[in-house]
Amino acid sequence: METILTLTLILAKIVAIVAPLMLAVAYLTYAERKIIGYMQVRIGPNRVGPKGWLQPIADAVKLMVKEIIIPSGANRFLFILAPILSIGPALAAWAVIPFGKGMVLANLDAGLLYLLALTSLGVYGVIISGWASNSKYAFLGAMRSAAQIVSYEIAMGFALVGVLMAAGSLNLQDIVLKQQGGLLHWFWLPLLPLFVVYFIAGVAETNRAPFDVAEGESEIVAGFHVEYSGMTFAVFFLAEYANMVLISALASTLFLGGWLSPFEGIPVLGEPGLIWFVLKMAIFLFLFLWFRATFPRYRYDQIMRLGWKVFIPVTLVWIGVLGLAILFRVGPWFA
Amino acid sequence: MITLTDYLLLGAILFCLSVAGIFINRKNVIILLMSIELMLLAVNFNFIAFSAFMNDTAGQIFVFFILTVAAAESAIGLAILVVLFRNRQTINVTDLDTMRG
Amino acid sequence: MGFEKFLFYVFAIVLIFAAVRVITVRNSVHAALFLVLAFFNSAALWMLLQAEFLAITLVLVYVGAVMVLFLFVVMMLDINLAPLREGFIKYLPVGAAVGLIIVVEMGLVEVHSRLFAAEQYHLIQQPAGYSNTKVLGEALYTVYVYPFEIAAVILLVAIIAAIALTMRKRPETTKYQDPAQQVLVKRGDRIRLVKMPAEKKL
Repeated sequence: METILTLTLILAKIVAIVAPLMLAVAYLTYAERKIIGYMQVRIGPNRVGPKGWLQPIADAVKLMVKEIIIPSGANRFLFILAPILSIGPALAAWAVIPFGKGMVLANLDAGLLYLLALTSLGVYGVIISGWASNSKYAFLGAMRSAAQIVSYEIAMGFALVGVLMAAGSLNLQDIVLKQQGGLLHWFWLPLLPLFVVYFIAGVAETNRAPFDVAEGESEIVAGFHVEYSGMTFAVFFLAEYANMVLISALASTLFLGGWLSPFEGIPVLGEPGLIWFVLKMAIFLFLFLWFRATFPRYRYDQIMRLGWKVFIPVTLVWIGVLGLAILFRVGPWFA
Repeated sequence: MITLTDYLLLGAILFCLSVAGIFINRKNVIILLMSIELMLLAVNFNFIAFSAFMNDTAGQIFVFFILTVAAAESAIGLAILVVLFRNRQTINVTDLDTMRG
Repeated sequence: MGFEKFLFYVFAIVLIFAAVRVITVRNSVHAALFLVLAFFNSAALWMLLQAEFLAITLVLVYVGAVMVLFLFVVMMLDINLAPLREGFIKYLPVGAAVGLIIVVEMGLVEVHSRLFAAEQYHLIQQPAGYSNTKVLGEALYTVYVYPFEIAAVILLVAIIAAIALTMRKRPETTKYQDPAQQVLVKRGDRIRLVKMPAEKKL
């Protein structure tokens, strides 16, 4: 009886996380089209519902009723499995993200490690879809994405090493609690280079512009998901946006103090923490969209050079600096 | 209740599967590399089982080192494989007989 | 049979199935994917032993990096599979026999030897607040610090070796961009303003 109760409670918590997340993803696509529209002096979607607010729902319905085409030379099982593999990790990672003090599904001790492991799994969806589609373009996209994600994983891992050194813990709640004390106590300041590297590596990990060579619609038509249609395509789409939200949540948790208010001590502004958390995420999500509207796509070898020859050395040097800073108890962060 | 024997038997079965894999796939270098990975995994099973049942961290530390060395091994193995394929257009073990001896 | 035992059997059966498919499947890509499945189940089984650090590391290092590398190589190399399968049937009896003999021998030792008697050892239930990561970290950076450094050096050597083996020299004629030079360029380097008299109106 008690087990059933616990299981129901966990299930309810999962629904409470995933349902708003899916809604956020749906409206992120709307926000993307609107924001990029205004940046390019257009209006963006404005036909479905008042000011186009129902556009994502119309899109979802359209994608759901479309036919799923499986190419004749494709491997059926892997072809269907690939989108599931790409959205699974993007949702599973939310288990360890704290939304407030004690508001976390699984308070894992090795939470940061778990996140790193899960974000590295997203590449399987891309590789398998590229291979199972039995198409040149899909395969090229998959190969590009595999090499790119593995390369940026390293820079990302090093950035997370910096966070774990500064916080002295792998538990995400402890990491947030270590940043208490207001805007200047958050880790973005002592870890500034790592913060920048982490976010840019995050953009690369999610295959977003300007690092979207895996899709590269002007070179390899749509990359790994060129053969996908209907719901299978929609799942890839969802996974990409869910990953964006995840990277934003992580960046705000690890570097911008998660649910902590920037005006700590002033009672009204601090509560509830969830609002601050969502606001911080919104800033990062806006950056994602801004990047897409602003930067032209990187060439593939330039992406690799940036990852290996710029980001990894920067993170390595800064980890050394950070070690010294912790040793000498610098500033308000490591005192 | 999970017992130590369960884990040891599982490790033994995995180990034997990988040995059999090396026997029956003796021409395909990639599957051979994978069999070696599987073999190391079986060994790791024993280490972790003993470590957990005897409350000694040394076993887990050992697994950590095995993982490191195995990762290095597979990286170099795959690099050699790529060079081999570039030069000979094959990865068949029986074709690698330029140095007859 | 407790819930944990049930989980153990589920993961163990899937693990053995995946391992069997790794060595018997025809296509190397499928073999690599089955190996991924095997690693996943192993991680779950290690989790049951409360070795969560190693379980997550296994997923991170093997599933996230090494197997991606494997898949990358297997997919990139255009391998003709037919000759590689030659002799599969021929060696199958020998391989199966050797495997079976080893497993029976090991099994007999493990089941009957007093060293491993089940009632002697019980899974240690760690107290609440026990952190597997912390314990391992403390051991790694104190008692095992030299082996740890050596492992780091091995990884470094592996990186250098892998790059040195696979790097191809580009032909001398390859043109590179130098972003620093591009940024430093002045107007005068690129265009020359020439004063010339306007043509007379016809």
